[in-house]
Amino acid sequence: MTEPGRGEPESPTGHRPEAEDTDDGDRTDGPAPASVDAAMEAFGEGGLAGYSYAYLDEHTKREVRRTMLSAVAIPGHQVPYASRPMPLARGWGTGGIQASLSLLGPEDVFKVIDQGSDESVNAANIRRLAADTADVDTTTDTTEADVIQTRHRIPEEVLTDEQVLVLQVPITDPLRTVDPSDAANRRRHAHANYGKMWLRLYESVAQHGEIDIGARYPVMVAGRYLMDPSPIPRWDVPKLDDADALFLFAAGREARIYAVPPHTAVEPLAFEDRGFTVERFDDRPCDVCGSTDTYRTEVDTGDGEVRLVCNDVSFCRKRQQRPGLPTDHHLDDPADAGEGGESA
Amino acid sequence: MGYVAVKAGEELIERAEELFEKQRLDGDTDPVAVEQLDEQLGRLVDRAAGEGGLYAPRLAALAVKQAQGDTVEAAFLLQAYRSTLERWEETDPVSPDEMDARRRVSPAYKDVPGGQMLGATKDYTRRLLEFDLLEEDDPAVPGVGQEGVAPTAADGERLELTNVMDLLRDRGLVREPPGDPPEEPADTTREPVTHPPGRDEVLQELARGETGAITALGYSSLRGYGQVHPTLAEVRVGRLPVRVEHPYTGEPVRVTDATVTECEAVVPVFEKREQPAFAFGYGLTFGRNERKAIGMSVLDASIQLDSEAEPAENPEFVLDTVDGLDSFGFIEHLKLPHYVTFQSILDRIESIRERGGPAEPAADEQGGEADD
Repeated sequence: MTEPGRGEPESPTGHRPEAEDTDDGDRTDGPAPASVDAAMEAFGEGGLAGYSYAYLDEHTKREVRRTMLSAVAIPGHQVPYASRPMPLARGWGTGGIQASLSLLGPEDVFKVIDQGSDESVNAANIRRLAADTADVDTTTDTTEADVIQTRHRIPEEVLTDEQVLVLQVPITDPLRTVDPSDAANRRRHAHANYGKMWLRLYESVAQHGEIDIGARYPVMVAGRYLMDPSPIPRWDVPKLDDADALFLFAAGREARIYAVPPHTAVEPLAFEDRGFTVERFDDRPCDVCGSTDTYRTEVDTGDGEVRLVCNDVSFCRKRQQRPGLPTDHHLDDPADAGEGGESA
Repeated sequence: MGYVAVKAGEELIERAEELFEKQRLDGDTDPVAVEQLDEQLGRLVDRAAGEGGLYAPRLAALAVKQAQGDTVEAAFLLQAYRSTLERWEETDPVSPDEMDARRRVSPAYKDVPGGQMLGATKDYTRRLLEFDLLEEDDPAVPGVGQEGVAPTAADGERLELTNVMDLLRDRGLVREPPGDPPEEPADTTREPVTHPPGRDEVLQELARGETGAITALGYSSLRGYGQVHPTLAEVRVGRLPVRVEHPYTGEPVRVTDATVTECEAVVPVFEKREQPAFAFGYGLTFGRNERKAIGMSVLDASIQLDSEAEPAENPEFVLDTVDGLDSFGFIEHLKLPHYVTFQSILDRIESIRERGGPAEPAADEQGGEADD
């Protein structure tokens, strides 16, 4: 996985121009094909019969990649693009899957999580679409994936500079909660006029003594744009700050893409005397693996007992086998640092 | 971990799909042929084609069959399929005057050049259940062909219907919509709509809008949440030629016809005191769908007022809510698991309670905004 910010717009990421001597010639890499016909022929053999490689036609993928480049160039700014109708319902990850399919090449390894789980039916459906149409290998292991598409979580294991996290976004603008008009909010972003959001936070403190926002906590990106980090829990917000990985936020229904490039400052809005806080678990560990440093969710087992369990199912499994495994365990050994290539 | 995540999601999806198919085929009757849907449930198929923005009656019938009659789901299938097709050519613009009309009514005038043409309609029939249709072994086809009512001149030539709006235009009574029409119309399936939208973008989005949403929002204006209560200049149903430029000769070539419903509505405007005029609203959709075309013309006229006073007059509000794919998807996405975000808001509620804040659930006043 190369970082799209540095790749050529015309080249599917992950495929450098030197890959021209592909053995089977099924899929060309590198330079853009001379014509639409050439592109269609070149991709004709991969993926699902009757459809383009990776479902979307090459023009669309190029447009989506260019939108991503614009988004990387202006961190936190929402870039409009012509979101295509996808074979998934809108609101179910259509932006994420357009971004993922535009990035993926046949060598890439893809992981999909929905609410922290690889095995939720919606994650399975998205994974199936990518596997069928883009012919990629899939994995549940965060460290093995080149591209990870996620709904509402950032994995617990630290992402590397070779990984891209694609976050599905239901509502692109944090200001939507204070004004439904996109036109008005775009003006506010242009002027960096975030007074209404500050007021909303202040009113919360005045009424309740603290900020009442659960997930979708508004953040300032690179000191300039107010951004909706998608409905990740507050627990995940600090992971966005000065990270090694690229975060792409893609909305299908609202037709916007925005990004947090690697090593960008991401700061949650808060007051000096009413700071940003993450979810509290009262030192109750994960009921399965014993973790206390992961995001946990309540599970009502029906026997009158509410248990807390890790939300990142894949990492919880690793912790069950290797208790106390640090979240950056894979960084010590570069050979294990998300090179991918092998499927799980 | 069995209680945390569903195992083997792929297998479950496949079994759910099979169950859905089984529902369709479990009965004793023969499967419905797409031809039957196209011919006998044409309005259903037309609705899917219009909302799908793809004029391909056979595919629309297939989509309706596959969606088991859910028009929004069928339109969704058509749009998703359409988005994979390469766009080779754009058709030449065609004037509605060329329409081979099968039905045309003008409520604005008692009589109009070309005449009123009732065509095939149930508008004036008593809405009584026809129990004869329960058993319909060998139905007698009524003798009247549609051609029988088309207006013809004395020499047998088809009459071109004079556009009723043109009668008003000739008298200088029509105020054209503000702004010059663009040289090339925008294509909102390829360029995202940004606000304020151009009229070409508004009309495209309305033409693909969900019939129920267009009807409801159009009705809201008539019901009092708006100022537009139009008089319809005319409503037409008929076929329009589809022409493309021949790649070698450069001449326009008629490749097929498309059945459309068109509506033009006039609204009095008294903006300039000395020169009151009529503004007009336009509606056009694939297939026979008069309700949608009329609702669309009401919304087009309302949006031209560009006010935020009423929902139907606010282009952002209308365009943000009429798309069936958007609304259907986002409404139904609420069925997806939300336990991550729910845990997060649970934490806020409990924390504020512990603090001894107001007992009433004031934290929820934003309508659960965080929980998507």
